[in-house]
Amino acid sequence: MQFRGLALVICVWAGVLGASALEYPTNRELAQHLKDLEKGHRKLVRVESVAKSLGNQDVWLAELGAGSDAERRRRPALLLAAGLEGNDFAGTAIAVAWIEHLAKSNATNEVIRKLLESTTLYIFPRVNPDASGRFFAKPKVELTVSRQPVDDDHDGLVDEDGPDDLNADGLITSMRVEDREGEYIADPAEPRLLLKADKAKGEVGAWRLLTEGRDNDGDEAWNEDGPGGVNFNRNFPYNYRFFEPWSGLHQVSESETRTLADFIVEHPNIGIVFTYGAADNLVQTPSSESKGEGPGRRPPTIIHKDDLPYYRELGKAYRDALGLKKELKTVSEPGTFSDWMYFHRGRLSLAAQPWSPALQLELAKSKTKEGDKKAKETGAAKEEKTNEKKEEAGDAQKPDEAKKPSEPGKPEPDKRNEEERAFLKWIDENAKELFVPWKSVEHPDFPGKKVEIGGLAPFARSNPPEKLLEPLAEKQGKFLTDLAGKLPRVSLRQTKVKHLGESIYDVTVQVENSGYLPTSLAQGDVSNEVNSTRVVLDVEPGDILSGSKRTMLGPIEGSGGMKEVRFVIRAKGRSQIEVEIISMLGGSVHANIDLKKEQ
Amino acid sequence: MSRKTFQSDSLPLAKLALAFLVCWPVVAPAATFDRKPAASDPSDHAFPALGSSMERKVPVEWNRFYDHAGLGAILARLNKVFPNLTRLYSIGRSVEGRDLWCLEVTARKVGDPKRKPGMYIDGNIHGNEVQGGEAVAYTAWYLCHQYGELEKVTDLLDHYVFYLIPTINPDGRDRWLHQAQTASTSRSGLRPYDNDHDGLLDEDDVDDLDGDGSITQMRIKDPNGRWKPHPQFPDYLMVQVPPDEKGAYTLLGMEGIDNDGDGRINEDPAGGYDMNRNWAWDWQPNFVQYGAQDYPFSLPETRAISAFVIEHPNLAAFQSYHNAGGMILRSPGREGGAMRPSDDAVLQTIAQRGEKMLPFYRSMIIWKDLYTVWGGEIDWFYAGRGILGFSNELWNRRNADKAGADPSREDEIAFLKYVLLQDGLVKWKEHDHPTYGKIEIGGTRKEWGRTPVSFLLEEECHRNMAFTLYHADQMPRLSISNVEVNKLDENLYKVWVTIENSRLIPTRTDQDVRNHISPPDVVSLSGANVKVLSAGRVTDRYFKRVEAVKRRPDRVELDTIGGLNAARVQFIVSGRGTFTIKVDSAKAGVLTSEQSLP
Repeated sequence: MQFRGLALVICVWAGVLGASALEYPTNRELAQHLKDLEKGHRKLVRVESVAKSLGNQDVWLAELGAGSDAERRRRPALLLAAGLEGNDFAGTAIAVAWIEHLAKSNATNEVIRKLLESTTLYIFPRVNPDASGRFFAKPKVELTVSRQPVDDDHDGLVDEDGPDDLNADGLITSMRVEDREGEYIADPAEPRLLLKADKAKGEVGAWRLLTEGRDNDGDEAWNEDGPGGVNFNRNFPYNYRFFEPWSGLHQVSESETRTLADFIVEHPNIGIVFTYGAADNLVQTPSSESKGEGPGRRPPTIIHKDDLPYYRELGKAYRDALGLKKELKTVSEPGTFSDWMYFHRGRLSLAAQPWSPALQLELAKSKTKEGDKKAKETGAAKEEKTNEKKEEAGDAQKPDEAKKPSEPGKPEPDKRNEEERAFLKWIDENAKELFVPWKSVEHPDFPGKKVEIGGLAPFARSNPPEKLLEPLAEKQGKFLTDLAGKLPRVSLRQTKVKHLGESIYDVTVQVENSGYLPTSLAQGDVSNEVNSTRVVLDVEPGDILSGSKRTMLGPIEGSGGMKEVRFVIRAKGRSQIEVEIISMLGGSVHANIDLKKEQ
Repeated sequence: MSRKTFQSDSLPLAKLALAFLVCWPVVAPAATFDRKPAASDPSDHAFPALGSSMERKVPVEWNRFYDHAGLGAILARLNKVFPNLTRLYSIGRSVEGRDLWCLEVTARKVGDPKRKPGMYIDGNIHGNEVQGGEAVAYTAWYLCHQYGELEKVTDLLDHYVFYLIPTINPDGRDRWLHQAQTASTSRSGLRPYDNDHDGLLDEDDVDDLDGDGSITQMRIKDPNGRWKPHPQFPDYLMVQVPPDEKGAYTLLGMEGIDNDGDGRINEDPAGGYDMNRNWAWDWQPNFVQYGAQDYPFSLPETRAISAFVIEHPNLAAFQSYHNAGGMILRSPGREGGAMRPSDDAVLQTIAQRGEKMLPFYRSMIIWKDLYTVWGGEIDWFYAGRGILGFSNELWNRRNADKAGADPSREDEIAFLKYVLLQDGLVKWKEHDHPTYGKIEIGGTRKEWGRTPVSFLLEEECHRNMAFTLYHADQMPRLSISNVEVNKLDENLYKVWVTIENSRLIPTRTDQDVRNHISPPDVVSLSGANVKVLSAGRVTDRYFKRVEAVKRRPDRVELDTIGGLNAARVQFIVSGRGTFTIKVDSAKAGVLTSEQSLP
């Protein structure tokens, strides 16, 4: 990686965003912000509404890159998608911050300027604009779905039992009902939290946990058929689940997801996809354990072994960029956009939860150990840092060990709810408003029973408090800028011409991939979705004595990988020929070969 | 006249008369040969053979194929002539903009057309599998003409509604019919697709090199070839030589040239995908399932049909006609795919009847007896929407000779030569090929192999229609067969309602029930002066076990009313006077019964 470039990026970023703190935008604010960026940077930013949601909201696409439409169409491209899940707001904020950073730094930052001249960026900051309304609604309610009415509990009625704001605090939180048959007990180490009662430990149930609300349809299920809809990040064909309330009637069933899918098909130059959402394949290296399936016509279940090294390295780079010292648990979900992009479309597809309690806790841990990270971002210091990281990796093990009793005789602390307790502690210290203290209410559905309303506020676990957005966006944006620079890139390394006599020439063309990624991942090859890099001569087939007009080179490795093709041609009355090298993901190159110049 | 008188007195007159009679044909030839029958319309003098309507209000000949416009014209005429039986509309458009015409056939004035159990029938999803179009159009024609004439047809149209879509791949169909093709080409729809991944679209399709309107085989004289002309049919058939013998020809494949100069012939035809792999259930991408396209319902045709199906919750049966082979196919398309045992039992029973109605056809499971299909239409209809159905593959080659075994190639050529008087045979002819040089082109026409010959086409249409109507006739048919009222006390009554399904197909299949695809059947009771205090499903009518519903006792939800089975519901009511029992089933329709409390 280019350390100096990174340093520059971060300093400029800090300067650029220092003025305005990041916030979660409403749909209107998002539209305005994007349009302002387009207006201020017309040569670089193009903003378009590509679809209308069921609620008639716009789905925005921001396309970044220098030059003409046609030029941008042919360049290697990265696609960033956020706001697919109805509860992803951090992703949207990060995406917009990144667009702003790129646009504003283009003039002064060499790395970014070069990037935007050679690469196209397609950014969908909010694929599910209908769901965003819930963040700003009164009451605020966290759901992952869009707006289509769905009969979730299959009782013939649609959306008849949604949550209710019983304590009128503007938030839909949780409700606990005292009940000996309840699944939960109060966590002895932190009574504000509930713990699933373990009968094997002799724990007697005490509480029943529900969402705040009434049993509107009298079926003794609370809030089970709320305003329905589809989670767009479960609506894609890979590992799709039928018949779940959030999956839609079938794959790619919604106009928004169909728009995104068609966009992918119509823009085959997209080589890297990054998705913010619930799925994450970066905080931990994905599994390479084969389930014993042979090659051939079988639906794939694991990342191809030849592609795994890229996922591993990029995962490391991502964790570094965040300041994550150890791997967290990877999350996969059925029917995600990111899985479809890899397993079916053969592209490098990364997915991340922009923020999670586990991430926050892990970062907080590293911060207390390291001190200020930014001061150390220079080339020399990086070496020390690598060594320090190794030590810290060792250090990072210690907090676990510290949890073991140091004194004999003391009972082992309950490992259940460990993360929840730590998170609640963090909330107490940093964002008190995210936990609503339990308060008793008289609940008409439970006469005579103790009912309390409180718990984590909506979105507390899925999106960070706004004040944390800026540093988060900065780190994510740094990684994204680097990532965009990793696309494959074909070029003509050299040509060799030998005049064999008369009008006959022996021509060798060497095609190089100077990018990081190969021109096609193994999965791109297996899936047949990434075409072979091809070399096309402007010579009539009849004049090609050895070789062919259109030659398929197959995938070319990155980091200077090269493939060579040789022709014997007859070029009567011509002093030069044209050659075109076309790579689906690596761009295309047009060159003239001077036949008179022997090489 | 007495003999004596004849012989003695009138001899000259009688002899003259005799002579006149004998010589009449010679004497007056012109008058006889001038006589002609009246050239009136033979239809005016027609009498029915069994199986077809006598009257042909819409005359159609069923011994030929019709293109998209032709099928549309048949439907349009039926719609015009039978307005009380039909509605005609488009459910969407193909890639090239052809309408997917649907003729909805039912007795419109009997019952509510929207609430009758519905059967969806389509054909020709593969462009070359044309006879499905005729089979569906024949069904429409037959039903319309026989309503009111045949009791069975009247019963079918009074109780059920048919959605008939003769072709769901009109682009592929028209290409196959209008252009030079083989029996197997033009299977795809016509959205351009880069099959050979060279950046060009549809640039190398078959070519009719000799301009005879047919794509046949190419062969080249080759002393090292492994083929030679068949001794019995040298003009039409090739045979492989034994390994130690010198041959005479090499077979080069279907007529065509290397249009894009990549060293391959006919490798990127128009379209180049499979519409019957673009459906949502068990969909897999191209590298697992050839032809699947980019995602389920990414094609306008499949998308239109899926929307139609979702908007018609009354659909209870499905059939999609393909060719060839003589098969009655059922799900699942892949090993381990969805098929509930009780649903499979119903399908098997219906298919077994089909085997008797369709000579040489066999009842088969797709993945097991044919090959694996990911993302097929039949799987989505069944597993995704809970609708029982079949895909028939029309035309078994045995039907040509009615033989017990598959005909040999010699048998087939003999059929074409003698029964069809060489129709369909293309003699080998010389041709100059840009790549191969001097070759010969010949073989059999596209109409041979997967489609019936003219005089057997109507048979194919009728028999398949009859099987499909038998299937339709198994769609649930409910009746409130018994309402028993018992007085428990003053003003308090126990009402038992028996709802019978007299057909084989349950109101909701097992796949449907398990996955909550359609809403449950609802049995409700209401009356102006009647209050329902409690209600429940009778789970054992002899031991009187009742499962009470927890809320809203005026309506009892039933998972399903099984095939040839009955469901019983108990209502405990108070009040007096009349009440109405209502059964509302998404697929079986609505029925009511007026009753009185004693």
